Amino acid sequence: MVDPDAEYVRKAAEGDTLAASALVRRHLPRMVGFARRMLNDATEAEDVAQEVFLRAWREAPNWRPGAAKFETWMHRVALNLCYDRLRRRRETPDADAGLAVADPAPLPSDAWLAQQRAARVQAALAQLPDRQRAAITLVHFQDCSNIAAADMLEVSVEALESLLARGRRTLKAALADVAQDLMGGADGPSS
Amino acid sequence: MNRERFQQLLEAYGADFSRWPEGERAAGEAFARWNTADVAASVAVARALDATLDSVKSEPLDLEALSAKILAAAPRAHPMFDRRAVYALAACAVFGVLIGFGAGMLAPAPAMDETYFVQALEAPWLGEEG
Repeated sequence: MVDPDAEYVRKAAEGDTLAASALVRRHLPRMVGFARRMLNDATEAEDVAQEVFLRAWREAPNWRPGAAKFETWMHRVALNLCYDRLRRRRETPDADAGLAVADPAPLPSDAWLAQQRAARVQAALAQLPDRQRAAITLVHFQDCSNIAAADMLEVSVEALESLLARGRRTLKAALADVAQDLMGGADGPSS
Repeated sequence: MNRERFQQLLEAYGADFSRWPEGERAAGEAFARWNTADVAASVAVARALDATLDSVKSEPLDLEALSAKILAAAPRAHPMFDRRAVYALAACAVFGVLIGFGAGMLAPAPAMDETYFVQALEAPWLGEEG
């Protein structure tokens, strides 16, 4: 298993700022995107991504390539940080949680529709059980292979497929009207 | 690839075959090409959900400030305390201690000669003041 990040991690551990920059450039958007899908909160997602990198800097001098790819390790850390935050949210519900901040600028109708649609999809994703949401986020949004996603979730490929199928079934039911609109009703879902 | 497996994979990974397991991708595509009406309907349903999810896929992210914060915490090289230099200094120190210890061990022990003190005490100018 060749880890494309191994050399960057080694150099970053020695204080090579170019290597550290390359790792940030390569992985920060993916970490933030992943945490956003998981938490449905941009600020918290950035906090998670920052924490992932701080841990990466701490671990870099001890990093031994071969056990897991660096990206897999990062996703696992991000996933666990997201799980922790989701658990805390459930334990201490915040009255404002999940409320979208209204954009004061008026939007053209297409943009408004797209924003509404995005909000519906995000809300439906947020309603999924954590592990189903993580599976869908990894495979659909992060474009991870089935083997990589199963590795990140620390489950078998069969278990991953089960999580994906259950998650997609729930989303299909929750978003049937959105899908219908989007496909223009031409070849939309008959469910 | 049979109908049951095709349906399982379609429900898990959706209608974009690039997301399917590598080993079953080609068989899945071939199965869909030679599809019956109900396979086509299943694919259309999966595709509609894919498109719905994709509609929120790419949001612009401004990560400049966050990148800077993260990079400020990245490991730094310390030329004044380069690890190799620290090892070299430590080796020199150990070597110096060993040399000193060895030299001390090899040096002849000083003779317990008290003549000097006796002579000094018996010196005529002591006690003959005035």
